[in-house]
Amino acid sequence: MKRKYRGTRYFYIIAYIAMIMVTVIVTAGFLRVYLRNDTGASGKEFYDKYYVLITDDRDSSFWQSVYKGASDYGLARNIYVENFGSDLSSDCTKEDLMRMAIAANVDGIILNADESEEMLGLIDEAMNASIPVVTVNSDCTSSRRISYIGVGNNDLGKEYSKQILETAATLITEDTPRVRVAVVANTVPSSGQSIIYASIQETIENSKEYGRRISLEMVMVDEKNTFSVEESIRDLFIADDLPDIIVCLNELDTTCVYQAVIDYNKVGLVHILGCYDSDTVLQGIDREIIDSTIKIDTKEMGEYSVEALISYDKIGFANAYYTVDVILINSTNIKEYLVTEDTNGEA
Amino acid sequence: MAKHRFRDLPLQIKMTLVYILSSFLILAVNTSLLIGITTVSARLQRTYEDNLYLNDLSNALSDVQVSMTEYLNVKSSDALEYYYINDQKYRNLIQNLNIDVTDSSYDIMQRNIRNMSEDYLNLVSQTIEAKRGRNVEKYRMRYESATAMYNYINIYIESLNTSRFEDNSRTYSDISKSLRSMQNFSMIVIIAVIVTNAFAIINYTGRLIRPLQTLSESANDVAKGNFDVELPRVESKDEIGVVTTAFNKMVVSIRNYIDQIRENMEMERQHKEKELMMETHLKDAQLKYLQAQINPHFLFNTLNAGAQLAMMEGADKTYEFVQNMSEFFRYNIKKNDEIIRLRDEIELIDHYIFIINVRFAGEIRFIKDIDDSLLDVEIPSMIVQPLVENAINHGIRNVDYDKVITIKVKRIDNSVCVSVKDNGVGMSEETIKDILSGNSKKNSDSMDSNGVGLDNVIERLRIFLDTEDVLTIVSEGKNKGTEFLFYLPIKETEDDV
Repeated sequence: MKRKYRGTRYFYIIAYIAMIMVTVIVTAGFLRVYLRNDTGASGKEFYDKYYVLITDDRDSSFWQSVYKGASDYGLARNIYVENFGSDLSSDCTKEDLMRMAIAANVDGIILNADESEEMLGLIDEAMNASIPVVTVNSDCTSSRRISYIGVGNNDLGKEYSKQILETAATLITEDTPRVRVAVVANTVPSSGQSIIYASIQETIENSKEYGRRISLEMVMVDEKNTFSVEESIRDLFIADDLPDIIVCLNELDTTCVYQAVIDYNKVGLVHILGCYDSDTVLQGIDREIIDSTIKIDTKEMGEYSVEALISYDKIGFANAYYTVDVILINSTNIKEYLVTEDTNGEA
Repeated sequence: MAKHRFRDLPLQIKMTLVYILSSFLILAVNTSLLIGITTVSARLQRTYEDNLYLNDLSNALSDVQVSMTEYLNVKSSDALEYYYINDQKYRNLIQNLNIDVTDSSYDIMQRNIRNMSEDYLNLVSQTIEAKRGRNVEKYRMRYESATAMYNYINIYIESLNTSRFEDNSRTYSDISKSLRSMQNFSMIVIIAVIVTNAFAIINYTGRLIRPLQTLSESANDVAKGNFDVELPRVESKDEIGVVTTAFNKMVVSIRNYIDQIRENMEMERQHKEKELMMETHLKDAQLKYLQAQINPHFLFNTLNAGAQLAMMEGADKTYEFVQNMSEFFRYNIKKNDEIIRLRDEIELIDHYIFIINVRFAGEIRFIKDIDDSLLDVEIPSMIVQPLVENAINHGIRNVDYDKVITIKVKRIDNSVCVSVKDNGVGMSEETIKDILSGNSKKNSDSMDSNGVGLDNVIERLRIFLDTEDVLTIVSEGKNKGTEFLFYLPIKETEDDV
């Protein structure tokens, strides 16, 4: 009886303490879970340097991939890389973003440049303000930028030429003695674009077998306005004066041409040689609508950009050129890239 | 001891402790919940703080731009003063912006706004300077640059404001939800605490009161006259414990007292009963004696006259016989007291045997084996004579052989053993049992009896010796005689004599 009483008393004492503890713990839990923003300051990472990536199409998977390469490489070295302008509510041009970056006194700019005068002026302004600028994928050759990171345009041109010749070989018969090849180029002057074109031209002309049977032309698309590239490419299809082979030198052009071929029911009639390995482009190759594409190692591109800025920051100069590898993807090796992409996607 | 410390506390303190403990539980739980709810509410109020700040920043920036434009337009000192005030205000505001590079996009945006703002303020300052220096070309150029920067900063502030607003709205929604959850939780906890508290208090006060209930039940039983109640157990040293202890002591005392009274009454009753019986038997003996001898004084005087006559006539034997008769009856008159000496009793036997031997023509041989030193021991009167009379009447009256009566008085330990033995017909076991249980009456009705029966002898011996087993009758069989034995205690004074 006595023991029973004692047991009951202990039970109530334990119940009392448990009640208080449960209340305190649950309340503390509530506060911790719902007010974690308040304590977030302690979880912040601080960085030594702040670099920005400025491009004209920051949402494309190409530039996203370059940004990821640069960001990962930078984070490992205590450098924060921002895809500049992605947090802004209104669209700004590359030039606007350049001005903002200069005014914001960033530590370095990774720029998808062009050869325009305005860009030249801005790059020099940044350099004057002690902000190093590296150009990526397309250069501004006459500026004072410290480095250019991109594919070897001459080699790229040769790779395209090789594809053009291989495709032409299948097309040229007695009925179709000539093959028309159109290289989609942008109206904004770019040295890379010119070099590629020149390289293609040179290689084809030098081809003894098909040199005279291939007519090469440059189709200019307007990228000044937001949707002008797509419209320009559609215009090409509406004109009903389609080339046999279309060569695209960037991701957007490739995607637009691919979509237009489907929409205008020109599958099989037009051969597409694309650029970059976005999901859409790889899908196009898998469906045999796009013949081949040139995959640029975007991760490497991003890494080189940051490396060049770090090098400049540390020793006052950097390599003027960083060459990024290119890989050809066509129907023969598409499976392995689809698998790789899937794996990457899952990872 | 430490284990019982709480139990031994005074009742008032125990009750107070229970009250304080339960109040503390409710207080602790409520405080905890209140802190939680207050913190969440405070956080809720602070949700849109940074949006308000960004609005202020935007307004201050706009004021700088407006005051600069105003000055460029009118170049008034008021406009200049207005510009300086706004410039300072804006400078103060941007001091609150973050300047570090972190992985938070908000921090980065704040850093950029701050740097751009400093750049902008420099541009504005230069524009004003150029205006004051009337350098039209320069101030126009700088004005355009400043305006462009103004727009960029605005875009930045607006973007930051928007994303903060989105974030804050999410936070607001989360916090509101948590507040609601906390309210529900609080309700459940408070109900649980109240229920637990109620159970605990009921249980505890129950345990406090239980000894009191047991005590009151016991007291009620005692009040009804039942003193054989189970004494309530003393579990604590508080007031209830003290009262219970006192109650138990009282009940035990009352029980002892009652037992004592009962014992005394019993003793008194036994005493009275004994007295009454003694009296009864004595009366009975006297009555029988008087019935048997009508006026012994007259008989004694007559016998004395007869003895003298016999002496005068020279009849010696008759004289002796009458003389013995006379002595025998004199004894009966003289030793009328209850307690006499054994010596007197033996003397009476001598006279009796003489008288009987006259009747039986000297057939009875009387042997005495007596330790004279023991003859002063006390004995009730008329004890030995009825035994001798019994031995003659029922033992040796009708036997053909030599009739012998033996009386022995000897000491055994601290007692005097008196034995009356005959060599007559003996007694069966049944007869012995009947005599000892008082069922035998025939001897008292016998013609030759002096009227005092064996049962009377046994009863008086029992009363005198205050024990049941007073007389032993030994008979070894038919014609082997019978022996009556009884023991008298020796008192110290007699022993000395």
